[in-house]
Amino acid sequence: MNAVSRYFKSLLLLELWQGLGVTLRYFFRPKFTINYPEEKTPKSPRFRGLHALRRYPNGEERCIACKLCEAVCPALAITIDSTQREDGTRRTTRYDIDLFKCIYCGFCEESCPVDSIVLTDVHEFHFEEREESVVNKAQLLALGDRYEEQIASNRRQDAAYR
Amino acid sequence: MSTEMETAAIETVSIEVDGVALEAPKGAMIIEVTDKAGIEIPRFCYHPKLSIAANCRMCLVDVEKMPKPVPACATPVMDGMKVYTTSRRAIDAQHGVMEFLLINHPLDCPICDQGGECELQDQAMGYGRSVSRFVERKRVVKDKNVGPLIQTEMTRCIHCTRCVRFLDEIAGTNELGGVGRGDRLEISTCVENSIDSELSGNVIDLCPVGALTNKPFRFQARAWELMARPSIALHDGVGSHLYHHTRRGKVLRTVPRENNTLNETWLTDRDRWSPEGLCSDDRVLEPQVKKDGVWKTVSWDEAVETVVSILKEAGEDVGMLMSPSSANEELFLGQALMRGLGSGNIDHRLRQSDFSDDAMSPVVPQFEMPVAELDRVNAVLLVGCNPRHEAPIVGHRVRQAWRNGAAVAAYNPVDWDFHFDTGLDAICAPQDQVSSLAALAAAVAKLSGKEPPESVQGIVNEARPGEDQDTLARRLAEAENALVLFGQSAQAHGQAAMLRALSRFIASASSSAFNELAAGGNARGAWLSGAVPHRGPAGSAATAGKNAQQMLEQPLNAYVLWGIEPGFDIANPARAVQALRSAAKVVVVASHAASGLYEMGDVILPLAPQPESEGSMINVDGAVLSWAAAATPQGQARSGWKILRRLGGELGLDDFRQASLAELQSDMQVAVAQQPMEPSRVSLSVDSSAGGGLYRIGDVPIYAVDALCRRAEPLQKTVHAANDWLGLNAVDAERLGLNEGARASVSQGGESAEFEVRISERVPQGGAWLRSATCTTRKLGPAFGPIEVEVA
Amino acid sequence: MAEIQNYTMNFGPQHPAAHGVLRLVLEMDGETVVRADPHIGLLHRATEKLAESKPFNHSIGYLDRLDYMSMMCNEHAYVRAIEQLLGIEPPPRAQYIRTMFDELTRFSNHLLWIAACGIDLGAMTVFLYCFREREMVMDMYEAVSGARMHAAYYRPGGVYRDLPESVPLYKETRWTKGKDLKRRNEWREGSLLDFIEAFARDVPSKIDEYETLLTDNRIWKQRTVGIGVVSPDKAVQMGYTGVMLRGSGVEWDLRKKQPYAMYDQVDFDVPVGVSGDCYDRYLCRVEELRQSAKIILQCVDWLKKNPGHVMLKNFKVIPPTREEMKDDMEAMIHHFKLFTEGYAVPEGETYAAVEAPKGEFGCYMVSDGANKPFRAHFRAPGFAHLSSMNELASGHMLADAVAIISTMDLVFGEVDR
Repeated sequence: MNAVSRYFKSLLLLELWQGLGVTLRYFFRPKFTINYPEEKTPKSPRFRGLHALRRYPNGEERCIACKLCEAVCPALAITIDSTQREDGTRRTTRYDIDLFKCIYCGFCEESCPVDSIVLTDVHEFHFEEREESVVNKAQLLALGDRYEEQIASNRRQDAAYR
Repeated sequence: MSTEMETAAIETVSIEVDGVALEAPKGAMIIEVTDKAGIEIPRFCYHPKLSIAANCRMCLVDVEKMPKPVPACATPVMDGMKVYTTSRRAIDAQHGVMEFLLINHPLDCPICDQGGECELQDQAMGYGRSVSRFVERKRVVKDKNVGPLIQTEMTRCIHCTRCVRFLDEIAGTNELGGVGRGDRLEISTCVENSIDSELSGNVIDLCPVGALTNKPFRFQARAWELMARPSIALHDGVGSHLYHHTRRGKVLRTVPRENNTLNETWLTDRDRWSPEGLCSDDRVLEPQVKKDGVWKTVSWDEAVETVVSILKEAGEDVGMLMSPSSANEELFLGQALMRGLGSGNIDHRLRQSDFSDDAMSPVVPQFEMPVAELDRVNAVLLVGCNPRHEAPIVGHRVRQAWRNGAAVAAYNPVDWDFHFDTGLDAICAPQDQVSSLAALAAAVAKLSGKEPPESVQGIVNEARPGEDQDTLARRLAEAENALVLFGQSAQAHGQAAMLRALSRFIASASSSAFNELAAGGNARGAWLSGAVPHRGPAGSAATAGKNAQQMLEQPLNAYVLWGIEPGFDIANPARAVQALRSAAKVVVVASHAASGLYEMGDVILPLAPQPESEGSMINVDGAVLSWAAAATPQGQARSGWKILRRLGGELGLDDFRQASLAELQSDMQVAVAQQPMEPSRVSLSVDSSAGGGLYRIGDVPIYAVDALCRRAEPLQKTVHAANDWLGLNAVDAERLGLNEGARASVSQGGESAEFEVRISERVPQGGAWLRSATCTTRKLGPAFGPIEVEVA
Repeated sequence: MAEIQNYTMNFGPQHPAAHGVLRLVLEMDGETVVRADPHIGLLHRATEKLAESKPFNHSIGYLDRLDYMSMMCNEHAYVRAIEQLLGIEPPPRAQYIRTMFDELTRFSNHLLWIAACGIDLGAMTVFLYCFREREMVMDMYEAVSGARMHAAYYRPGGVYRDLPESVPLYKETRWTKGKDLKRRNEWREGSLLDFIEAFARDVPSKIDEYETLLTDNRIWKQRTVGIGVVSPDKAVQMGYTGVMLRGSGVEWDLRKKQPYAMYDQVDFDVPVGVSGDCYDRYLCRVEELRQSAKIILQCVDWLKKNPGHVMLKNFKVIPPTREEMKDDMEAMIHHFKLFTEGYAVPEGETYAAVEAPKGEFGCYMVSDGANKPFRAHFRAPGFAHLSSMNELASGHMLADAVAIISTMDLVFGEVDR
């Protein structure tokens, strides 16, 4: 009996028709895919993307050159030179991140005592020249200025967990 | 006495620490015993080289049968004592103390230079609580400006008083103290003063927190970024051990490397901050050649070619003046180069002006008592010596000897400011120094019944010792360990040979040790390498030539200047500049070159200064100390031995085929194993040409000893660097009609300059204290010689 | 007479079915594999050696990049090794989160495996379906850690952050609005746990679809049944773990045999194969997906009922929270020291293993009392599996070698390390 039913199932390509049935059902269902880049999947406020250096609301850069991020960076992607600014404060003269070395682990942000270095939720960036992979302090501060609103709102949303 | 000591030495007690049985000498503190046994006890105020204060309370331990925890640093061990360092009570005590210390400590870690090497952080991690219970306001303390070397941030201070005790006990300047009580206690200088001790930098290392940090290094780097490269200090003959802390090939700071026979755990400010000069604006970075009066940057090949042709042309008529702070390898190859060319004109004794005892001098300057034993002497005689400035580590040892009860007498041209008391001094102008020392020699001769050597017999026999001299002679003779310290002012003296012979006689007749503190970092190495005109390596017979003075007095066709600046490093700058200007060709090998060198030079080769090159030196004790390059040479600079080897090779000389430093060093081993020449006797004569006028006292300021030092900006901002003034005795000043602060015109050797007058009791009558190696005095004549002073 | 030699060919290192950078040197007798010689090391990054030069926590991010299909499982083995040396135990909530995310990771891994194996053997559609579900798992990864793959989420003493109370929503666009938008956001309205629950409840139906497409499919069966058969004895001898071992009928699962995290608190079955061929391994993996969903639901249930800490409160090892760090001296110091120097781990050695999707992923660690491991060795299951390539592939046709490589579930990140 078993053998007979198997024979007919096999002869009638039953399992193939079942499979095609699955695909046919999907033919009439709404699409799962989205029209990237016009629309995007939602991103978590914890997202770890491109780096930025933030400023205080009064425009003063937050970074105090404590170098914790440089120390904690497992990929040695961060290079900082520091000195005393004219007003006697501790500041960086160089803050380079090699985005080719960076592994986006987020430890730099975790270590920062003044919320200066952050990983924004920007993930769409590219370089045209090899050396562009090293972003310097001015670029990072500019990124911070540009995305400050988003950065601040993401931090606010996640504040309770940090 | 000795039997007492023996019984004390063997008297030990047995104690138990954390269940481990330990033997300890009676009277030792618990912390000393546990440190030796490797048992960890946290501490802030305790330091093995300082007195015990027991005021941080961090080292509290639990001792059985004691009602309360006791400080391990101030509790002597007793037989059968049972100590617990990790019992509940001990840990509670540590937690409590740590919490109190952190109550008033600011949340500065991210901006504090100490972060990462902070004892407070380490011990808070190891012994403190996890969370603070303190929510009130923290105390704030106003910062003090204590000078260009030390940065203060007194809010961070935890009042361990290590700095106070250091300046009190080791540096001897008492420049810091505690003001106020309880939580209002502040460590402060006396009324906004700066800390001027020549050992001041050590308080930075001692400070367990970030209250005192390195000012020039401020915010430059974190401890974890730095590579510690062991090296040797080459600014005095002690050969202090140190670490250059480098990052990406650049020296960022320098810290001491412990060595109990030399610098212990200390480092002089000169050694600590001299590397700041490495990045000065006038570093020579490329080989340059003067063509038709215009300087052109050229390749090494071309520069070497030019130098070779200059040397070939000059033949024997060439002289080489080498810095006494060069490495052995450079000095050895330098003399080999000159002798290979058939000229014996090589010298490193640039500040010396009397060479008459060359023939009878020992192979190397004598330094009979090692540095490590200096603090055990009972009597010290300083002859033309300012140990504080010439070799601060020696000065520190003499101070320790004085603290242990030694009596110090100074036979100096200036009553220098010492951190120890002196007595039975003879402070007299240079022209009178010989006679005053002769009087002491006569007293010693009388007491010991020993005949002075022929060379000084005449003058000693003539001298009439006074009561002071007799007392001093007796003191030297009776002391168990006595020392005659022959300093750089005596060596630079116009009658240095006479002073040396007298001092040596005094030392031998009173069975004291004779220590000559030669100028330069590697004088002993220079003598042994044969960088002297009358002898080859190890005092062997070699092509003889002119000494430093003769080379400049009887001008040569060509000169090679090795790591020196004629205006600053030579006894008679005016004549040096004259001779060099008149020379046909001058080859300059230097790490730094100010305008003067460009004016007189024809070729400049960039020399890598000591922190950027490798080599070895011989310190005053005779120890060969070698170092590897700590930093990468800037620009095209090369190590000196490589430059010389190339020059010698291109000239086709023998002995220049070493492929490596090791090969060169083994060649040197062979060379110094040669038989030294027998020293011959010479007769010395008394020079009485000084007359009645003023005589210059041109000692070298502490931070002007070499090119690197002179360019270390932080050091040049200290009080020790402001030396462009003329010190006069009140009597002389009145005779000349000069008042304090007046302008005086000084002329010497045909050159004149103007100086502010300072009237000081420290200057003897007949002396004019006008230091060498300053920007203004570099134009003048001999450092020790007649000088004319008048109202400007 | 001319000497006749077998033809030797390179399979990879750029072959799409080599699952990464495997160079497989095949000696072919016609279409039959005579000898298969895997050459590895093309993705060697010296992770073990690098781990010796960094403080313990710094290497967590590199563990993600070993088996980059089961990131959190790798982290799990590593942090467990550290925890064992330190003698600390994370709070139960962290343990449940780890259990749940280990299973989500298994989900993600097996989905990718079905997808890739399908495409290797000619089934395109299942690939797309699997990636659709995998996308959800990645969203969950992103929601907790901020990264879709390389999470760096597990830390010694717990997990970095608690599960968020909200999940990011799709925004209205020209194409997605109204009912469409509502449907897309249907699972995302509540907390992350709601999202995970909805996913885990729904996913068995999706698994049914994959099975409809594959399990009975005659082509699929022709390609897998009787291919790469391993006897139970042989499987044990060759150091197999995970599905490779269970597919041969050996009942061995670390989650049952040496329970870690909260695996002894959840109810699940371990599927075991019968014949040890590629088809049985496929069946095992599909069943594991269903069991994972079961575990996830149990974890979600517990986590919803039991809020609490996800990190130990031990500042000697675990950094304080940002708020504490900013106004508390002790916390500031601990923050500073932990992020620069790290913590010192007592002297000793340990081995911690987890049942990673591919088998036993272990971490052997020696500490000399410093702030970095004296030695860290990672046991990658794929390495042992690949070593038996010759054993399995000899005598099979070239096309079957693809099926064999595929069911070994190789990822060169972990094989080469």
